[in-house]
Parts: sequence; structure tokens; C-alpha cells
Amino acid sequence: MTAAATLRRVKRAFAGNPSAGSRTGRRLGLIGAGLLLGVTLVAVFAPLLAGHDPTAPSGAPYQAPSFEFPLGTDDVGQDLFAQLVYGARISLTIGVLSAILATAIGLGVALLAGSLRGRTEVLLMRVVDLALVFPFFVLVIVLAAFLGRDLLITAAVISAVLWAKPARVLYSDVLKVGEFQHVVAARAMGASHLRVLGRHVLPRLAPLGVSQFVRTANVAVFLESALAFLGLGDPNRVSWGSMLFFANSRSAFLTDAWLWWILPPGLALTLVLVGFAFLGYAIEERADPRLSGRRQPGAGRRARRTASRPAGDDPAPQTPGTVLEVRNLSVAYRSGGREVRAVDDIGFTAQKRSIVGLVGESGSGKSSLAFALLGMVRPPGRVQGGEILLNGRDLRSLRGPEARGIRGREIALVPQGAMSSLNPAYTIRRQVVESAALTREDPRAAGERAREVLESVGIAPQRHGAYPHELSGGMRQRVVIAMAVANEPSLVVADEPVTGLDVVTQARILQLLLELRDRLGLTLVLISHDLRLVGRVADQLLVMQGGRVVETGAAETVMTSPRHPHTEALLAASPALREVERPR
Amino acid sequence: MRRRGVRIALQYAGVLFVAIVLNFALPRLAPGDAVDYLLPPEAAGEVTAAERESVLAQYGLGGSPVTQFGSYLSRLAEGDLGVSIRYGQPVTEVLTERIGWTLLLVGGALALSTLLGVLLGFFAAWRRGSKSDTTSLTGVMVLDAMPPFFVGLLLILVFSVSLGWLPIFGALPATEASGLALVFEAGQRLILPLVTLTLGFVGTVYLIARASLVGELQEDYVLMAEAKGLSPRQVRRHAQRNALLPVVTITLVGLGTLIGGAAVVETVFSYPGLGRLIYESVLARDYPVLQGAFLLLAVGVLLCNFVADLLYPLLDPRLRRPVAQ
Repeated sequence: MTAAATLRRVKRAFAGNPSAGSRTGRRLGLIGAGLLLGVTLVAVFAPLLAGHDPTAPSGAPYQAPSFEFPLGTDDVGQDLFAQLVYGARISLTIGVLSAILATAIGLGVALLAGSLRGRTEVLLMRVVDLALVFPFFVLVIVLAAFLGRDLLITAAVISAVLWAKPARVLYSDVLKVGEFQHVVAARAMGASHLRVLGRHVLPRLAPLGVSQFVRTANVAVFLESALAFLGLGDPNRVSWGSMLFFANSRSAFLTDAWLWWILPPGLALTLVLVGFAFLGYAIEERADPRLSGRRQPGAGRRARRTASRPAGDDPAPQTPGTVLEVRNLSVAYRSGGREVRAVDDIGFTAQKRSIVGLVGESGSGKSSLAFALLGMVRPPGRVQGGEILLNGRDLRSLRGPEARGIRGREIALVPQGAMSSLNPAYTIRRQVVESAALTREDPRAAGERAREVLESVGIAPQRHGAYPHELSGGMRQRVVIAMAVANEPSLVVADEPVTGLDVVTQARILQLLLELRDRLGLTLVLISHDLRLVGRVADQLLVMQGGRVVETGAAETVMTSPRHPHTEALLAASPALREVERPR
Repeated sequence: MRRRGVRIALQYAGVLFVAIVLNFALPRLAPGDAVDYLLPPEAAGEVTAAERESVLAQYGLGGSPVTQFGSYLSRLAEGDLGVSIRYGQPVTEVLTERIGWTLLLVGGALALSTLLGVLLGFFAAWRRGSKSDTTSLTGVMVLDAMPPFFVGLLLILVFSVSLGWLPIFGALPATEASGLALVFEAGQRLILPLVTLTLGFVGTVYLIARASLVGELQEDYVLMAEAKGLSPRQVRRHAQRNALLPVVTITLVGLGTLIGGAAVVETVFSYPGLGRLIYESVLARDYPVLQGAFLLLAVGVLLCNFVADLLYPLLDPRLRRPVAQ
């Protein structure tokens, strides 16, 4: 197989696995591993490469580079090239040794705290917190100054100040792993402490442990070089840091000597540190794919509008009284080289003041349809074709600020999950004012409108200054509805507006939506997985499966005499515990 | 709110105590006789037993560890950190002479690197996955990996040795100068150390700011802000406001790293701050000064962390006490 084909195969394999991190991350990881491998080879074969003893004079002082001394000699005639080659050994030894020690201590503390619980746990983690806020760099200098400069002591000193970070990070992971079903089950079945630890907990900690190991090694290499640069290096060995110390204290940069005395050790050090940093980033990204920035909806590069309609192609006129008309709408997502249709050739109309219920299981394309209505389909998704007519205007022909101008003014969204949809750092008043201000220049008018609309959804004025986390789930849903209706839009798209609420609150929120519909003359697109719930309030029902509408009709007809087997299945899936009266 | 403040204050008092104990214990834990550390190397070999005793008593090293610690604490309470071996001056005087320069350098670097790091990090986060993001990420990581003393040496090579633009030694000119000329000269000498230290910390802030905003951008409220019809600028404000929170903590906590960085950067540029003082004290085995500087820096870093902890609830309403229902 050619190299290119192999590369493609590897790429494809990674593309199918979202947790594998970004291409950048993988590339950086490979570069980092390569750098470290190179330095390791140099360290292992140092005696073969060096030619001279790095710590004994082997020529005249201050020699310029020559065949015998590729980097010249220092002030006492020691071979700088030999020092450079042997320096790799010191940096790697310190890095690996300190990282092993610090990660081991951290792991021990994390496991101890995580398995003992209670007082010991609190005490241990307090100690970790104390160690974390200590100015560790200065502490290392002072410790090294007092305790000695031997390489092993340096490694011990460095790990003594670096163990707290791995302990903190691994501890939170220990807690998480302890709550995993299979670990709880293993414990319940009487597996011994050690067995649970070895079989279930340790393997789960491995990725984070490795990333902490690499990070610690990175800091350790830096600390050793900094100590050596401050004259606190092992007096019996020459490391890159101490080469720079001697170069600096003997003003190597006043002559040309800096070229072979300062640059090589500095660059070597940079290479090792870059190697660790790249490798660490790649490993961390694998553990936390959020860092890679793959596939996030709603932000980043603006979506390129696709399939723009040819100019002058006027859509067919809308019948009067119709607020929304959707014709042959298709939305597709690109995944692994092929397009999957989430919304497949869907059409429906909604009359003024009516409620259209869109029902389907998760993955049936309901939310994609909602985002298409709002003009917010983002790559890797795109609207493939079709028309969305709102009060006779084709929304798909709108661009940039014009398309944005529709949102919140003519079409509003009541999203799924009101807790996460509200900004935790802003008061609810401020968030509703933001909406109201879209159509009101005067801040006073916007504030007045926010107060009015919040009260109209049933939130008392004394709570308007509250933050989202201070409100109950039902209240938050009311806030989100207030934001949606602040500008009296003609269409409100409610995406699972009552999911996750208790039955009583569900009924109240639905009641509120109906009241607002009557008062403001809204048209509602109500999206839910719960056919019975939607059927209670909707005028017209669309049952979706796999992106297609499988059954449509007046709500009562669909509910009482379903024709499609999927509709029957959905009805069976949400059994009516008791007949709730249809709210008016 | 107040109870939280008290709890945090107690916690920091604990750390401070540990720092003091460490400072007390270090010379006593060190291998060999404390006198070897306390006297200049050339004098240590030829002291009599009686002299040894008097030196030990002078430094509060006589008697049992408990009485030693007691007298150490009481002297500390009076602001007595001992006498510098090198200068023969009280340690507190030596420290006060130097602290201003370090405050200037570290404060400036903290402000600059935070500003730059946040700007660049947010910029990258909005373009994450794009080519400019990848390039800047890689570049910042390489820059971040370079040891500050190497960066400092390179800057000297370029701007002082080759171009001859900037002086490199000390913080003040050797010649007489006053008024504006003095400020100008001092500013010139501040540039390179400041740039070096800023470059050493900007990467940390950048990476945190980028990761933080990338995380926020995946939150539903950002999507909602857009669905609400807000302008891109308003949407950005929503996400960035929350993304700043971890940056504030990391920046203030990172002060410890920055002060450590100052130790090497001041050494490279012979800048007369606390870091350079630590270096000189290590070389001259001036342990009282070393201990005093450590204690002072530890207290400074702890204070900053304390302030960060107190500030945090003001920035993140979720940490405030919930309003009574």
C-alpha cells in the first residue's frame, strides 16, 4: 500500500471517531513524540556521539568550532558539543524521574482520598489545595539551595512541589469513575477493594494519568534548567541550563561565542519542552475533545449559505391567513464523506393562531427542522432545498443581517432545556431586556416591556433581578417564553418546551402558551416526542420518522384513528395515565 | 458571603502558617550544621565551639525546636527577619530596597500578558479549527515552551548586541540623571525584561482563554443568544463574559509562576529586583535573605490568591448565596 493510501485510511479511521481529537492535535502529538524520540536517542548514544568527556578539559579554552570540537570549547577548554549531547541525559532523567514520582504521589493521594472518603478525604484535599497555591518556583529554588544540588535531590525537590496538580486532577476522576455503573455493581457483588481498584478504576484513570505525567515532565525539565541557570545545578554534571549559566556569567554574547555556546543548549531545551508540550496537548485533547473545536453548532466560521435561489424566481403566492408555509424542505448533514438527510422533503402550512404539532422520536429530524425555520443550520449541516415562506416572504433568500432580523422579531424560539439556554451570568431581567431591545431603541421602553412581559408569563416583579440558577425549572421555562414573545412575533417555534418538567408544571406551561397564543395571535410550531401531550393542544399534527412525515392530519383524527404504524407506536409509547381535560 | 470570606481567610492563614513553618524548618533540615550555612563559606571552617554557640544563639538556633520556633515567631511578629550576611543590614531593609523593581516588572508583565493572552486566545477560539487558529496555537505553544532565560538571552543578542538599541544592565543608568531623563532611562532598561517575562506568561493565558471560550461556545445559551436574534457582537459578549471567569483565576494563581519567572529574568538582565536578590543570595550563601525573600514572595502570592477567591463570586453569580425563595 502506498503511504498516501495508508494516510487516507488512518484519516478515515479517525474521522469516524469524534473522541480522537483534531487533526491539529494529532499532528502536534506526532511532532512532539518525534522530537522526544530524537532526544532520547541522542541521550542513549551520548558516549558514541560526544567524543570527549563533557566535564574535563580536553582542549584549549575559548576555541571556535573545529572538526574536533564541533561547537568549540568553553572557558576551561571543555568540549561544548559533548556537554550538549550529555545534557540530553540530564533533562530526560529529571523529566521522567520527577514525573514518575510526582504522578505516583498524586495518584496515591487521589486514590486514598477517593476510597477512604469522610474526614481523611477532606483533610487530604485541603492539603492538596494548600500545595497548589504555593509559589512553587520560588519554593524549588529555596529547597534546592538548602537541600543540595545532586541530580537525585533535584528530582525529589521538583516532585515534592509538583505532586499536587496530578493529585487534584486524578482525584476528580477517581470520584467520577467510582460512580460508574459497572464499578458500583462490582462493589455490590462483593469484589474486594483492591480488585475493584485494579480492574475498574486504574484503567479508567490511565488517560488522565498519562497526560498529567507528560505535563509534569514538561514542568520538571523546565525547573531543572532554571535551577541550573541560577547556578543551582548538579556541580558534577553539565546540563543545558548550567551551560547557559556559564555562558551568561562569562558574557559569551560579547563575542561570537554565543553562536555555539548559547544557541545550541537553548534550542535543545526548547526542542524538549516543545516536544513535551505538543505531546501533552495531543493527549489532553483526546481526553477532552472539547478543546479540538470540532463540530460545534452555532458559532465559529459563519455558515456559507448554500443552494441560493436564482434571482427573479418569485415563490408561488401564499394563501391569505397562512402565516407559515414550508415546501419541500430538506436538510442534510455531512458525516464521513456522505450526506445524511435529517429533514427529507417536508411541507406543511400553519394558519394564523393555529398550533402545528411536530411529533417524532429523537433523531427523527424535529430539531433540524426547527433550526432550518430559524435559518440557523450550520456546517456540517446545510439546507439542501425547499422554501420557507413566512407571511409571504421567502426566508431562504435572506442573507446576513436581514436573515438575523427575522429571528426574535418575527420567528422566536422556545428552546429545549431552559436552564442551559439562559446565560448563567446575567439576570433574567437583563436577558429579557436584550430581546425587547431588538425592536425598541429607547432602553427605558425596553426595560418597561421586559417587566410587562415577565409579569405576563407569571413572574412576580421581585424576582426579575434573579439569576437563572435561583429559579425553578418551570420559572426558567416561563422566562424563555417571555423572551420569545417580547417582540410579539408571528411565529413561535417551541422545541420540547416542557420536557424534563413535572406533570403539573407541564400542564401550566402548555396553558401559558395557549393563553399567549390567544392574546397575541401567535402561531405555534410545537415540537415534541410526546404525541399525547402535543395532540392535546395542537390543531394539526405531523408525525415524523427518519426525516420524513409519515402521517399528517387534524389532531383529533390522528389521535383517534391513526393510520400509520409509527403513529400507533408513538401513541403506545406515551400511555395516558388519566384523561386530562384539554386546556382551553 | 461573609461566612465564605471567613472560611477562605482561615484557609489562607493555614497556608501562611505552613510557609512560616517551612521557612523555619529549612535551614534546620539541611544536611550539615546550620552554622555552615549561616557563616560565609571561608569563615565556616575556622570557628571555635564557643563562637558556634554564640552564632546559633544569635540566629535563634539554640535550645529545643519548640523554644526555637517560639522565638522565631516572636521575632517574625516584630518584623525581624534577621541580618543579611552579605550586606550586614537587616533583611527587611534589603528586601524593601528591591521589592519596588519586582512589583513594577511583575505587575507590568501580568497586565500585558493577560491583555494580550485574552485577546489572542478569544480571537483563536472564534476561529477554532481554521488555519489561523492552528498556526497561532502552534506558535504560542512553541513560544510558551521556550525557557524565559533563553528568550531573554536571545533578546539581548538581537536588541542590545546586534542592533545596539537598548541597554541591558540594571534598572537605572550608572550616570547621573534626573526627572524625565531618569524615567526615560529606567523605561528603556525595563523594556527587555518586561517583554521577556510577558512572553513567558502570555502563552499560559492564551491557552486558558482559548480553551475556556471554546468550551463556552458549545453551551446552549450561546446558541439561544443567536436564536434570540442578537447581533454577532452581542452573542460574542455573552460567551466571552463567562469565558473570562477561569482566566481571572488562572491569571492571579499564575502569579506564582510569574514571580518564579522574574527570578530568572532579573538574573539575565541584572535587574535589581527580588529575583536577582535570590540569585545573589544563593551564590553568596546569604541564607537569611533567601528565607526572607521566600517568605515575602509566599505572602504576596497568597494575598493575590486570596483576593482572587474573594473576587470570584462578584464575577460569577452562581457562587453567590441564592436569594431567599
